[in-house]
Amino acid sequence: MKRVSTAAMAVLGVGTILLSACGNSVSTAEGQPVSGGTLTVSFKDDLKTLDPAIGYDTDSWSIERSIYNGLLDYKGFTTQLQPDIAAAMPVISTDGKTYTFKIRSGVKFSNGRTVTADDFKYSWERMLDPKTAGPMTGGPFWGSVHGAQDFFNGTTTSIPGFKVIDASTLEIDLDSPNQSFLNIIAMPFGSVIPKEAVSAAGSDFAHKPVGTGPFTLDKWTPGQLIVLKKNPNYFGTKPYLDEVDAQIGLAPEVAYLRVQNNQLDIAQPDLTIPSAQYIQLSSNPTWKNRILKTPNVDIYYLAMNVNMKPFDNSLVRQAFNNVVNKANLVKILNGRAVINNGIQAPPMPGYVPNYNPLGLDANGQNIQKAKDLLTQAGYNASHPFPAQDLVYTKASADSDRQAASIQQDFLQAGVTINLKGLAFNAFLDVTGKPNTTALSFNAWIQDFPDPSDFIDPILTCAAANVTANGGNVSFFCDKDADKLADQARGDVNSAERLKLYQQFQDIVVTKDFPWVPMFSTVETNVSAPRVHGYQLHPVWPFVTTSIWVTGGAPSLAPAPASASASASP
Amino acid sequence: MAGPRVSPWSPIWNRFREDRFAVGGGIFILLLVVIALLAPVLPIRNPNHGYYELLPANGAPLSPGGTFLLGSDPNGRDLLSRIIWGARISLFIGFVANGLALVVGVMVGALAGYLRGWFETILMRVTDIMMAFPVLLFSIAIISIIERGSVLVIVAVIALFYWTAVARIVRGQVLSLKEREFVEAGRALGGGPQHNLLHHILPHLVPIIIVYGTIGIATSISTESILSFIGIGVQAPTADWGKMVADGQDFMFVAPWLVIFPGLMILLTVLAFNLIGDGLRDALDPRARALFRGVIGGVAAGSAGLAGQRLGLDSEAEPT
Repeated sequence: MKRVSTAAMAVLGVGTILLSACGNSVSTAEGQPVSGGTLTVSFKDDLKTLDPAIGYDTDSWSIERSIYNGLLDYKGFTTQLQPDIAAAMPVISTDGKTYTFKIRSGVKFSNGRTVTADDFKYSWERMLDPKTAGPMTGGPFWGSVHGAQDFFNGTTTSIPGFKVIDASTLEIDLDSPNQSFLNIIAMPFGSVIPKEAVSAAGSDFAHKPVGTGPFTLDKWTPGQLIVLKKNPNYFGTKPYLDEVDAQIGLAPEVAYLRVQNNQLDIAQPDLTIPSAQYIQLSSNPTWKNRILKTPNVDIYYLAMNVNMKPFDNSLVRQAFNNVVNKANLVKILNGRAVINNGIQAPPMPGYVPNYNPLGLDANGQNIQKAKDLLTQAGYNASHPFPAQDLVYTKASADSDRQAASIQQDFLQAGVTINLKGLAFNAFLDVTGKPNTTALSFNAWIQDFPDPSDFIDPILTCAAANVTANGGNVSFFCDKDADKLADQARGDVNSAERLKLYQQFQDIVVTKDFPWVPMFSTVETNVSAPRVHGYQLHPVWPFVTTSIWVTGGAPSLAPAPASASASASP
Repeated sequence: MAGPRVSPWSPIWNRFREDRFAVGGGIFILLLVVIALLAPVLPIRNPNHGYYELLPANGAPLSPGGTFLLGSDPNGRDLLSRIIWGARISLFIGFVANGLALVVGVMVGALAGYLRGWFETILMRVTDIMMAFPVLLFSIAIISIIERGSVLVIVAVIALFYWTAVARIVRGQVLSLKEREFVEAGRALGGGPQHNLLHHILPHLVPIIIVYGTIGIATSISTESILSFIGIGVQAPTADWGKMVADGQDFMFVAPWLVIFPGLMILLTVLAFNLIGDGLRDALDPRARALFRGVIGGVAAGSAGLAGQRLGLDSEAEPT
């Protein structure tokens, strides 16, 4: 989900086998699902938006997924796509450029009106309209739709690539084939919304959303509470819950205490459990078994700006690749991560396990090599390596701890690092601009389970050629690598395609060194004992439809008075 | 200080010695200062080095009493070392910031009180304005603008806000001292303002300076801890008590020692300086002490007032 703000964020992963091996669902007999009741979850900060054209963070997606649908969705808790509002999977032309969708009949918005192909054309053009100012405008995902570029430039008022054949048939024409286009359609940006609700809401559709999903927004008290009610017009299987309440403004320490006291069902559903609370819960026999885990499909890395001194010297970048003790960073996350020396994350197709082309030790280091390379680069006692600022986001205490650990590693290699922790928005601002930030601690989390998502938005020349809000924070641009990415994007042979992406990875990791890849995390979360059927989704941050609650169940959690006593192991 | 005559300080020292709390505070601070000064040569671990390899696989901080006497933080750093090195920061900022505040405060207060006129008006209005600022809010603003985490900036900011109290009290003192016969005599003998201030008035201000100096250190240390706690004070990885409490917060239920030990150090240090200050005040002003303790002494009871008023010592209690 774009760039990541916390030390470990959002759900995401791949493969049901892997998931069940990780204990993604609580295996104890949960009994028959019952309908009714209210689920209470919490978020630390208020949601930015509920407009699917705008929201590009896990908080917003957590709730958006309950309000909207698109043509496609992932089947259950897998990464396999299936029709949602589409009646069937689309017919794709042999050149891979034309997609024809049939729309399921009888799908209604929560306002009662039936969804037609026109609604999709409207929703998508609105989503890409520069006037909407959403993150997809001009972006890499939808750019290959025929006529999209002219629309971004404002020379046309409509996108001819979105063709309404009849009320239930939609055709999409691409300029070049894109093997991940179905995944792109399934992103919340592809959600369908009714035109009349948008105009009725004026400029505030973000707070007055109308969709087709299992729930509708009943109330949003800014900074306090969001209430979702079951949508009587929902076309799919009705959810068990009558209501989902999202309390806003609970810090993790407080939220997890409340979960343990049966005062809250799920704390911050889109984020992993913070380290301190994880240690507490995982060492408590009552709660240990309720912890869910799934690979997060993210990569945490140091980005070195290849256009800025001293990182314009590839020897320096190579040296830095030998410095970080990645095992320490994994330990700071209580072992809920794996060392990663590549650019793809497990279990993304094309991920190479134990990838280590630089021959680093088990901690991912080789300090002597780093020192030698810095000497080669011309740095020595009389010409010491200049102190560097490490820019990182202070969204969680865990990222502070990791930054401190990285600082210590560089000291061993004779490099002084000053820590510059910033709020997430400020961080995005300074790292996304060219020639502004030399060294930053970044993370990328998948938007969809396709390896192109770890390359196109963050490691291509196009992504480096921006003036602001860039995803390619090392401003890396290698023409050879770019060719591979272009070739892979439309390659229908999936095995060959993965090979191309692996070649791309080799260029980044062994030739150009724009990153110091460090680790990939495992998402964890926990729910109160009255919650059943809660699972972590490999792509979506939070899924409400599988959950049911049993009211007044005997409390597993201790009474408030003894809470802190039992809380400390 | 001991001259050929009986030192005027000895009765004060004798009175101070009787105050067990003050003496306890004094011993505590003395020990702290010695340990802090010796930190580089003491056989303790590097306070900023994380011994990750000693942490268990789940990264939980080590509890006190094992490998680390006071336990470790989640970065595998030795809490004992960090507390000792943190003392250096706290004491340095406490002494220097408050020293600066005292110098400025005494100068402003003495000049305003002695010279009066428009000079006094300007200085005292500036003082009033400074006192009207919400200290914390303004410190945050200033530090954010200048430089985060620089010890010197923190020192300057604390000094900037705490000279005002001293200035007011000193001014009040000087106003009354100025009218006394010995100052008038000094003037009559041709002493200029500089001479009178330095040789006749300043010695009478010494008790106030000592007492306010001591109590001010406590205030400065707690202010520094607060600034570091909210994240704009001393920066990582430098060990600092306030920062340690902030960093340990989220681990409060897992590793309470992360908050308790540095918190206790802030508490004890601030308390110790306050006790010393109290003890000194009583020792320097036996009349106030008599009033305070309800002891019937031979001294006529003045009006029991604020600390500042009680510090309006009469000449018989003063070193001259």
